Amino acid sequence: MTIRSYVKLTSDRIVSDRPVPCFSGTGRELLLSAFRASGISYPKFHKMDTLSKAGFLATEILLEGSDGRFVPREDRAVILFNSASSLCDDRHYCKTIADPGNWFPSPAVFVYTLPNIVTGEIAIRNKYYGETCFYVLPEPDPESICRIVSDAFQDRMTSSAICGWVDCTDDDTFEAVVFLVEDCIYEENALHGGGMPWNMENIRTILNK
Amino acid sequence: MNELVNELKLQLIDALNLDGMTPEEIDDNAPLFGDGLGLDSIDALELIVLLEKNYGIKLANPAEGKEIFRSVVALAEYVGKNRKK
Repeated sequence: MTIRSYVKLTSDRIVSDRPVPCFSGTGRELLLSAFRASGISYPKFHKMDTLSKAGFLATEILLEGSDGRFVPREDRAVILFNSASSLCDDRHYCKTIADPGNWFPSPAVFVYTLPNIVTGEIAIRNKYYGETCFYVLPEPDPESICRIVSDAFQDRMTSSAICGWVDCTDDDTFEAVVFLVEDCIYEENALHGGGMPWNMENIRTILNK
Repeated sequence: MNELVNELKLQLIDALNLDGMTPEEIDDNAPLFGDGLGLDSIDALELIVLLEKNYGIKLANPAEGKEIFRSVVALAEYVGKNRKK
């Protein structure tokens, strides 16, 4: 398995082996400015919670200009991990229903009180109909990430995956590290593709960039 | 009419949590659902609640929704004619 490319988007920076959009500010301002600079026409972005925005935008940067984008496919999985689950949105939702005299369980708010919504946002945008899953781990653990993603390739359908760590502790504190991984043997001098082997060491290195 | 269109845009942004979006970014005549603003069935529920809460309008016939929610202008026309507050 080979890591074709990666993106690390945090509250104050974007690091990638792909072209990165201009951005200003930090936190939510960074997300909005990078989204606008990317020239993406996707109004639904504004509806998303911060966890989904971070995962969505990191994936957009990862896939920008890639061949066959938006062609429906079943062979690409979306496998994400974090430690805070949807805690940020759970807190927000609790606030909206805290006043017994004035409360309304807004669907636009509570729909995001599940962490795997971000995998759905990415799959819907890119027309992926393959495996999607979201794991909550105690911490960013390269061994678990490497093993779980590798296992996902054992079915007869998956040939590539968008995977990585997408976590959000509050609206201005988030981290999205996403990889495009393909089911092919890494060749150091490959004429096409390039990248690096999918292994714990490389996952750790990129997580810590 | 323009005032009501703008008021509705601000209420849409607030009710649907369209974070970072400005009223100017919402096209008066663009579809609210599908293409255009990209709203979905969950948002339809929010819009129905918004109409009842802010304008006293109860949608008796769900089939009307397709026409009423066609665009912000269509929504403003309906609210202008049927509002109770």
